[in-house]
Amino acid sequence: MLWALPPVAVLALVFLYPLALVVQESLAPGAYAEVFASASFREALVTTVWLAVAATAGCLVLGFVLALVIAFVPFPGGKAVSKFIDVFLSFPSFLITLALLFVYGTVGMANGLWTDVTGAAEGPFHFLTTPWGVLLAEITYFTPFVMRPLLAAFSQIETAQLEVASSLGARPLRIVRQVILPEALPALAAGGSLVLVMCLNEFGIVLFTGAKGVTTLPMLVYGKAILESDYAAACVVAVVNVALSVGLYVLYRGVSRRAGA
Amino acid sequence: MLVHSRTGRWTAWAVLAVLFLPLFALPLLVILTASFSTHWSGAFPSGPTTAHYAAAVRGESLQALTTSLVTAVTASVVALTLGTWAALAAAALGKKGKRLLDALFMLPVAVPSVVVGLAVLVAFSKPPVLLNGTPWIVILAHTVLVTAFAHQSVSAAIRRLDPMYEQAAASLGARPSYVLFRVRLPLLLPSLTAAAGLCFALSMGELSATMMLYPPDWMPLPVLIFTATDRGSLFTGSALAVVLMAATLLALLAVSRIRTKASYR
Amino acid sequence: MTSGIRFDGVTVAYGSNTVLDSLDLTVEPGEVMALLGPSGSGKTTALRAVAGFVRPASGRVFIGDRDVTALPPYKRGIGMVVQQYALFPHLRVDANVAFGLKARKAPKDEIPGRVAEALEMTGMAAYARRYPRELSGGQQQRVAIARALAIRPHVLLLDEPLSALDAQLRSGMLAELARLHRELPDVSILYVTHDQVEALTLADRIAVMDKARLQDCGTPQDLYRRPRTEFTASFVGNANLLPVRVGTDGVTFAGADLKVPVPGAAPGSAATLCVRPHLVGLGDGPNLRGRIVEVQWRGSTHRLYVEVGGHRVKADVRELKETPALGTEVTLHFAPDDAVLLAAGVNDG
Repeated sequence: MLWALPPVAVLALVFLYPLALVVQESLAPGAYAEVFASASFREALVTTVWLAVAATAGCLVLGFVLALVIAFVPFPGGKAVSKFIDVFLSFPSFLITLALLFVYGTVGMANGLWTDVTGAAEGPFHFLTTPWGVLLAEITYFTPFVMRPLLAAFSQIETAQLEVASSLGARPLRIVRQVILPEALPALAAGGSLVLVMCLNEFGIVLFTGAKGVTTLPMLVYGKAILESDYAAACVVAVVNVALSVGLYVLYRGVSRRAGA
Repeated sequence: MLVHSRTGRWTAWAVLAVLFLPLFALPLLVILTASFSTHWSGAFPSGPTTAHYAAAVRGESLQALTTSLVTAVTASVVALTLGTWAALAAAALGKKGKRLLDALFMLPVAVPSVVVGLAVLVAFSKPPVLLNGTPWIVILAHTVLVTAFAHQSVSAAIRRLDPMYEQAAASLGARPSYVLFRVRLPLLLPSLTAAAGLCFALSMGELSATMMLYPPDWMPLPVLIFTATDRGSLFTGSALAVVLMAATLLALLAVSRIRTKASYR
Repeated sequence: MTSGIRFDGVTVAYGSNTVLDSLDLTVEPGEVMALLGPSGSGKTTALRAVAGFVRPASGRVFIGDRDVTALPPYKRGIGMVVQQYALFPHLRVDANVAFGLKARKAPKDEIPGRVAEALEMTGMAAYARRYPRELSGGQQQRVAIARALAIRPHVLLLDEPLSALDAQLRSGMLAELARLHRELPDVSILYVTHDQVEALTLADRIAVMDKARLQDCGTPQDLYRRPRTEFTASFVGNANLLPVRVGTDGVTFAGADLKVPVPGAAPGSAATLCVRPHLVGLGDGPNLRGRIVEVQWRGSTHRLYVEVGGHRVKADVRELKETPALGTEVTLHFAPDDAVLLAAGVNDG
């Protein structure tokens, strides 16, 4: 019992106490009313939530398909792909946006190809500075976070089970639906809620996009605090963001505990 | 095996190649290529050069790299100590206490990094602990952010540790402290090094909280990459990004070598 | 200091689930006591109570004359070997064996000698510089024993030490353990097993456990020849357990009168007659007539299942030249002294 005290004390000093100060600061008179009344806040809230939900859905679908192929249609180099995913996870998210700037930016690969081929003055790809650009980057970056628990879950499925199913005449799609999907559901739920929380909190991707039209809650916190020095407003937005993601995170822990992850 | 026919298998692989390569391999490849180029306004880059790298390893860039390395190493060491300590203490607690402690230490994962930055900024910009404007405020925020991951991976490793080793040691007359240092920690070493690698990588790439906190004389690499791309120097930014990735990979590689050695002992 | 172990009304419970019910048992100094029982019988719990890994809800545990009930494991001075050996994977064999000595701060200059001695005793001296994973299961087992013996314990606890080995290695290790015990006559050994062969081979006495309780305790011969309960009779060796009615100078089974000793049993009462299959032979006495319903060839013997009045009686007879046909009518006999009368319904498992 006593041994637990020092780390808890340190955590309290460097994390819990600062967090409490944020809550305290957000309670400045009129701060909540002012922030909630502002259009930029409501817009940021909506953008944040729909981006996170859409990105999560995209990650789940893409992650499931990719993990399925990697796990059950073995090919030489499959191990390398899994390794690559681990490495990919250790890189910061903004690298994806940086890369997308070269691929889909106004003077990037895709537009360059288009102008070369069609002779047009300008390429058709301008979505990078819109929410769609952020969505593409988030799906790209967070899909591996879904794939990892899925690959772990798939490795638990016995090949014998699949062989029995196919010897009984089940076609691959049927096996996926009736054998693999039920086994994968806990991992999907756990990975999906983790990605949802991480998307709600994502900052680097949005910052690098440089899109003025895309403001999420974390961006708003940064803007209010650093650019406008309006700490009370920043703290209000922060409290809302924390409530949103911690609430979801509690859900995620519940789900992953039930999944035994 | 799920797909038995040859065509079926090739189709599956084609799907994998079409989805996987452009999405995950291409971005890294593009950054790598761009870092060696001066121009990219068509399908392919042009003007091969190593000038960006020459710039990336001196002056401001070199300073940013060392800043990042020092920050990451310090934060990882502190976070690993703190996270391991908490995980070990939690394992000794009852079910309820363990849950509470685990939840407390996992909280920083759920709180947005930007908010962690804001909180640290609000708390340590005034006495009694005035850290704003010093490197310590960046290191502190990084530590808070990565401690959760250290705690999580060490907790998982402790759960997997078979209690029979501790019991064998106790039956041989080893007191709890002796068991901790001679049996449990050595057995946890592979997981500890893995956790260290994770913490290091996360800290190296940390941007959100850092953007809120960094003083002018302690600018980590991700911030420099952002300022470079923000003023339009995408190619310089790419070279810096490659340096960042390389430094992270080297550290991970070193850690995994220690790890195989530790688990082989 | 005297060795020996004494359980004094030891009860262990997890919540409302009693896993060991007021165990009274004494292991004499230098004695090998086997705790024999099926899984869940409480035998491992009893061993772990001696080691200090479970705390009794009531009762006391003594090692020698010392009440160790409240002592933490590391202060008990016992040697322990478990099923999975629990060798420290990060330490070489010699460091594993030295572990206990270092942990107890034995004089530095003594340690190498005692490590060598323990490894010598278990025949593992040649492997001192290996890591555990470089050893076979049997070798790991020997190292685990050497590690336990290096601290020169007065009490050695062995928890299913052979069950991870294959059959051939097991019988070799059994002989090895018997030799070790002859070399260390002062060490009391508590040996937990579910294997009757191990218990019969190694133990001075066997404590038979079932359903968290001690069912029977005695020398192997005693338990085998004169079991006191049906559970003991069936768990220690094979047994025919025949439902009989007691007469004045014998019993009635399936309508046949059998002349067997009936010490103290009330005439007319129901009882169980225990006869070992290998003591049942084919004869021509008039009494136990039945029909062969199954024959199993077991190399040196034939196991016959003979149906007598609706009951199957097992008989192990020397290998027959010709395998008897099913349905053949035979007569069974056994010597009256080879039958043991058990009170019916007591501990009938």
